[in-house]
Amino acid sequence: MALDLGMPILVVDDYQTMVRIIRNLLKQLGFEEVDDASDGTAALARLKNRKYGLVISDWNMEPMTGYELLRHVRADEALRTTPFIMVTAESKTENVIAAKKAGVNNYIVKPFNAATLKSKIEAVCGA
Amino acid sequence: MALAKQVRKANPTPEKPSLIRELVEIADYIAHMRREIAALRANELTRDRLPMAHEELGSVVAATAGATNSIMNAAEEILGLPDDGNYRAAVEERMNDIFEACTFQDITGQRISKVVEALRQLETRLSRFANAVKARDEGGLDPGEVERQVRKELLMLNGPQINGPAVAQDEIDALFA
Repeated sequence: MALDLGMPILVVDDYQTMVRIIRNLLKQLGFEEVDDASDGTAALARLKNRKYGLVISDWNMEPMTGYELLRHVRADEALRTTPFIMVTAESKTENVIAAKKAGVNNYIVKPFNAATLKSKIEAVCGA
Repeated sequence: MALAKQVRKANPTPEKPSLIRELVEIADYIAHMRREIAALRANELTRDRLPMAHEELGSVVAATAGATNSIMNAAEEILGLPDDGNYRAAVEERMNDIFEACTFQDITGQRISKVVEALRQLETRLSRFANAVKARDEGGLDPGEVERQVRKELLMLNGPQINGPAVAQDEIDALFA
């Protein structure tokens, strides 16, 4: 199944440069509908107001981390099936396993390149 | 020390020598402590060195943010350039902007060196003071620190690893295969 390039994507990161980098990579891949939020709390507010085809989130943010956001999303009946990719510098095994147990669809360690992001989006949204 | 000399002069054959000797030792210790506290030069640290370090690091953050912004702008402009006869000249112009933005590293390197030197001074003085007063760290953590530690452990906020990722992307991919 081909990727739906029109699907809205929510990028969650407290570092504006990283948001800008991911936005540009997504734009290169053909995605134009990209919103952003600076932490899990702001992301949840956006998720309640719009149906997103994918969430790409950092882990380490204040006040609500990406891991907490993931758990909120998976616990919410209306949001639980939203594809979720973690993009983070947290690379310990415990982080990856905890995210997987919490229901993350894929996990990317920073720094990453466009090809990695593309392959994960395809794996999560294109199948 | 002045007090100790006065005591010895006023009472060369004291009736209670052990008490006088203890008082003299205490006076000597206080004098020693005052010298060590003076050597710490705490006023200079809080008035000059620490604010300087704070200011320099603030400038480093601003310079790196500014440079990153300039580089991102140039890259975005290159991606948006029309594929016409001026393409090469336009790309070269943006590349020069990127080179210019990268000069921030020389300046931030010098700023960071000043901060490192200030921290080295602080470390030396604190270490000397701790040795002089035979300081022992109090057990436990302050409540704010306990709260930060609990949050860090609970939410697995480990941060980037020193020598690159602890688990390679290939290994993570295998977990999700």
